[in-house]
Amino acid sequence: MIRFLARRLVQMALLFVVFLSIVWLLLQAMPGDISDTLVGNPDIPREVRFELRQRLGLDQPLHIQYITYITNFFRGEMGVSFSRYPADVSTVIWQHLPRTIVLFLTATVFAFWLGFKSGKLIAWGRGGRSEQAFILGGVFLQTVFYPWFAIVMMWVFGFYLGWFPISRFIDARLWQGSPYDANDLFEQMILSTLLVTVVYVVGRVLIKRFATTVTMEARLRQALVLVTVGGLILFWYLHPARTYVADIAHHTVLPVVTLGLVTFGATMLLTRSAMLETLGEDYILTARAKGLPDRVIRDRHAARNAMLPVTTSLVLSLAFVIGGGIVTESVFSWPGTGQLLLQAVMVSDIPLAAGILAVTGVLALVGHLVADVLYTVLDPRIRIT
Amino acid sequence: MTISVENLETRQVDPTKPLLEVDRLVMHYKIKAGEVSAVEDVTFTVHQGEAVGLVGESGCGKTSVALSLMRLLPNNAEYVSGQIRLDGEDLLQLTDEEMRTRRWKDIAMVFQGAMNSWNPVYRVGDQIREVLDTHFRGQMTYEQQREHMERLFAAVGLPGEMLDRYPHEFSGGMRQRAVIAMALACSPQLIIADEPTTALDVIVQDQILKELKRIQTELGMSIIYISHDIAVIAEVTDSLGVMYAGKLVEYGPTTEVFARPKHPYAYLLLKSTPSITGPRRQLAPLEGEPPDLLAPPTGCRFHPRCPFATERCAIEEPPLADIGGGHRVACWHWEQVPDLEEALLR
Repeated sequence: MIRFLARRLVQMALLFVVFLSIVWLLLQAMPGDISDTLVGNPDIPREVRFELRQRLGLDQPLHIQYITYITNFFRGEMGVSFSRYPADVSTVIWQHLPRTIVLFLTATVFAFWLGFKSGKLIAWGRGGRSEQAFILGGVFLQTVFYPWFAIVMMWVFGFYLGWFPISRFIDARLWQGSPYDANDLFEQMILSTLLVTVVYVVGRVLIKRFATTVTMEARLRQALVLVTVGGLILFWYLHPARTYVADIAHHTVLPVVTLGLVTFGATMLLTRSAMLETLGEDYILTARAKGLPDRVIRDRHAARNAMLPVTTSLVLSLAFVIGGGIVTESVFSWPGTGQLLLQAVMVSDIPLAAGILAVTGVLALVGHLVADVLYTVLDPRIRIT
Repeated sequence: MTISVENLETRQVDPTKPLLEVDRLVMHYKIKAGEVSAVEDVTFTVHQGEAVGLVGESGCGKTSVALSLMRLLPNNAEYVSGQIRLDGEDLLQLTDEEMRTRRWKDIAMVFQGAMNSWNPVYRVGDQIREVLDTHFRGQMTYEQQREHMERLFAAVGLPGEMLDRYPHEFSGGMRQRAVIAMALACSPQLIIADEPTTALDVIVQDQILKELKRIQTELGMSIIYISHDIAVIAEVTDSLGVMYAGKLVEYGPTTEVFARPKHPYAYLLLKSTPSITGPRRQLAPLEGEPPDLLAPPTGCRFHPRCPFATERCAIEEPPLADIGGGHRVACWHWEQVPDLEEALLR
């Protein structure tokens, strides 16, 4: 296991260098540079432009620029953002990353959880009346043109019903003169949620170990959900910044739901077909012949094996969080890394764009590693060597 | 490694008492094109401690009978009429939940696809424990379960440590032994073995059949063997039934049916099988294919392929009639069917 990890990490490092080089070269291949955007006006003297290019190092030959970039990168320097001069690329990314991760993580986790459950149930109750409706809905959500769907969601829930704010991360009027920084508060929200999640997981493990009867386990689990979720809500309810926190949460709902629905449709259909496949396996017949209750056959035998392909798709989708966010974040004006990447590319802010793509690459590589390790846990036939 | 069933519960056997009575069972599958008559008017009895064999070509309804007995048929199956009585109680009248608690406890099964009978993601021991958890809920401690499972494994000649292994770590033969061990977990009165050795090589096949036979007699269980291979089954059964196109066409003591088959189908089936121990003989292939059960032939279902068929066979269906000594045949012309031994010597 340790040898496997060591070898994989070396592989990943090499792969990452190749990835970064390709990304950097592709960005260089774009016509023009930042000076076109900033001082491209013909009224501005050409000397200004030359000076700007000189100061940013854009006048150097390409290979020198490349070597400088790569060596700096591995010294931990991602450079300075051209369009947000003089802010560091890492600072800019760090400001935007939590918002993107929260948006995607929440949407993905809920979508996969619900999608897996409903896919499992419709496959189990095959031929039921609701099955057709679920399949139709699933196919619609999976194939819908996403930007259009996002706009429809905004129109229905934001404009027509008026339940949720239409776009952006916070309401600017409310935050005017606020004693709190939105980013700090948001980070605190993430931390508190993480803490509650850890408590919940630990609680579940303890319950599994110490509960003596099935009913007792179910009761304790309900109590745990109540205590953790209730505690989190109570904490923020009593917090002095409560209106501001509520504002952030309120703004998060619509993008999360929209993104989640699309993932939900795909997951449900995938789970359903994986589940139908496992239901035809001989060991399901064995399980039935053994006189096991239906719930045990469904959850312990069928769904457990149907989980493998669904896990693959979950891990892969997590790796595409940042890149895939461009559409969602643009439509909802959500200030995350996806929108940031789009802006950076538009103005040829090469260090910023390369930095965001580098983070994406790291996430993808780590995601695949996690997936490989997870497989060995889920399927004993797979061995790491 | 010692193989012993000593520590398992044995049952007193009264060979005259019927255990399972299948009485005029009719079962159809409903598909879009119509009704498939998969099991048609099947009647036979399994006595305590008896080993019964069912043979026939693929698609003749053997597995449908087996699954019917445990009520494990797919949703489109329909019991049209008949009874399946276990110890006098009709299983078809039980509720689903009652039937579920009977499965494995009263009737266990060794499946056709023994290789895939195990869920690949759980340890073999845990999959057996599941049975004990379901049927002896709260009656056994974790250690008692472990002890019991080790005894089961010992009975089929597997070391107890193998309980902690995953199915893919077993060889084919070991997996099948483990399946048998699992079948014994609740000391069922009846085991249904559906093609128990089909996927195994001949040597392992022989070992496993012998072991299953020994366990069955020593523990006083009844067993129904289902196979397409009449030679394999003849060695281990007391009674033998031959099925064709969803119908039982011949039933009787194995020695009788095997030596003097009276139904033309049984006769031709035997003639088409080479014998390893018997005299060298000319093999006669069985021509044609079993009929489409969506629209089975009128009269005797075998008449389109039967060399003895007359006009009557196409119109009137022959009943399964006793011809003496518990040997029953469904054929109008059974007296014309020559003795197999005589035919072979000629």
